[in-house]
Amino acid sequence: MDSQAAIPHALVILPHALREKVGNQASVRVYGHTVREIVAALDQEYPGLRFNLCHETGELRPYVNIFLDRENTRYLQGLDTAVRDGATIHILQSVAGG
Amino acid sequence: MSEHTTFAPGTVLVLVGTRRGLFLLTSRDRRRWEIAASGLVGRRIFYATLDQRNGHRMFAADNGDFFGTFLRYSDDFGQTWQEPAQGIQFPDGSEQKLVNIWVIEPGRPDEPGILYAGVDPASLWISTDNGVHWNLNEGLANHPTRSRWEPGAGGLCLHTIVVDPTNPARMWVGISAVGCLRTGDGGRSWVFANKNVRADFLPMQYPEFGQCLHRMIQHPAQPDVLYQQNHCGIYKSINAGDDWIDIQHNLPSEFGFPIALDTHNPDTVFVVVENPEGRNNVGEHFAVYRTMDGGERWQPLTEGLPSGPAVRLGVLRHGMCTDTLDPCGVYVGTNTGQVFASRDRGDSWNLVADFLPPVYSVKAILIE
Repeated sequence: MDSQAAIPHALVILPHALREKVGNQASVRVYGHTVREIVAALDQEYPGLRFNLCHETGELRPYVNIFLDRENTRYLQGLDTAVRDGATIHILQSVAGG
Repeated sequence: MSEHTTFAPGTVLVLVGTRRGLFLLTSRDRRRWEIAASGLVGRRIFYATLDQRNGHRMFAADNGDFFGTFLRYSDDFGQTWQEPAQGIQFPDGSEQKLVNIWVIEPGRPDEPGILYAGVDPASLWISTDNGVHWNLNEGLANHPTRSRWEPGAGGLCLHTIVVDPTNPARMWVGISAVGCLRTGDGGRSWVFANKNVRADFLPMQYPEFGQCLHRMIQHPAQPDVLYQQNHCGIYKSINAGDDWIDIQHNLPSEFGFPIALDTHNPDTVFVVVENPEGRNNVGEHFAVYRTMDGGERWQPLTEGLPSGPAVRLGVLRHGMCTDTLDPCGVYVGTNTGQVFASRDRGDSWNLVADFLPPVYSVKAILIE
């Protein structure tokens, strides 16, 4: 039996800038109850990836957006936003332009 | 990307860090220059250097806009880059977060493998294995005055590291806007070295700390002699920073960022003072200023440098350097994307690169 069967799994779609860190994949599947756990799972699988997304203080970097399905989690519960099983998560960089 | 995998000994390599990438300028005769982009494109490169004590390992301060700030190194002259196994990063859950990496300096010639890096928030990081693992210097991080340090306009940044080649226990760091600190015990403890340096922006003109040091260098033959370009003046110390002497004299401004010297004639020092409001050239002629007597008299060097009513060039703290040849070469990168080079100690200048992104740093290395 899959020991992670009770933990929601999500498809995480990564921006081009981070794909080298995950073996040049466009997306990866990880498990977690919240976005924070998803980030932790990414870092577990691909060491160092959390630092790309979050400061050492734990907060999300200001020009990184994490969308849960179509919602920007920054306007939900941030990193504490709950993840449903089968969710799609997009990690995107802000437009940060004019 | 550079097509070179190596450069012949005797080549002068100038690493040009810009707001959008690292570029390599090279020349065999300092007359004809070639420029190539490195593998670090589109990134804010505050500083880069080449460590030749143990091969040719290039280091760069890659301050990303989105996904974090990283020190990176390259063993193929900048074509491909690696992240350290243990990079510059405060512990998870820390109250501090890395903002920018400002400077990376190889250690003493007789301690290959040791490198230093300075960052914002102001802290010193040390590697003892050629940059693969980095650790925080706790002595400076836990300085008893640390909670009272205030940032300058560029942040609370440790941007200058001076390693005394004659004393393995002594070094200096420069922090904006804290000033100069010195250790005499290998980094376990640090003392301020700011006596007689003005802080005109504070209620106390001569505080123990709080000065806005912009850049500091050491005399190569007299290790107690230091020079600094400060927000409030140009200074010289003849006693390792115990106190400082104002050497502005006839310079048209006290304000500027970079300072460099001729290693073969160390009383020859170069600065680029600026109009403090516009932060660009004083008057209509862009000039580098040179003293040949340790700061008694300064002369503007203008031959080959631009002038006119619309010339407004600024040079950042790491935007000027010298090479180690004799006569020494001087290199100046501007915040409008030009690099000027002199092969005769500043007597005459040529534009050797243009249309670059704003230049943050230049670092000249003679390939061994």
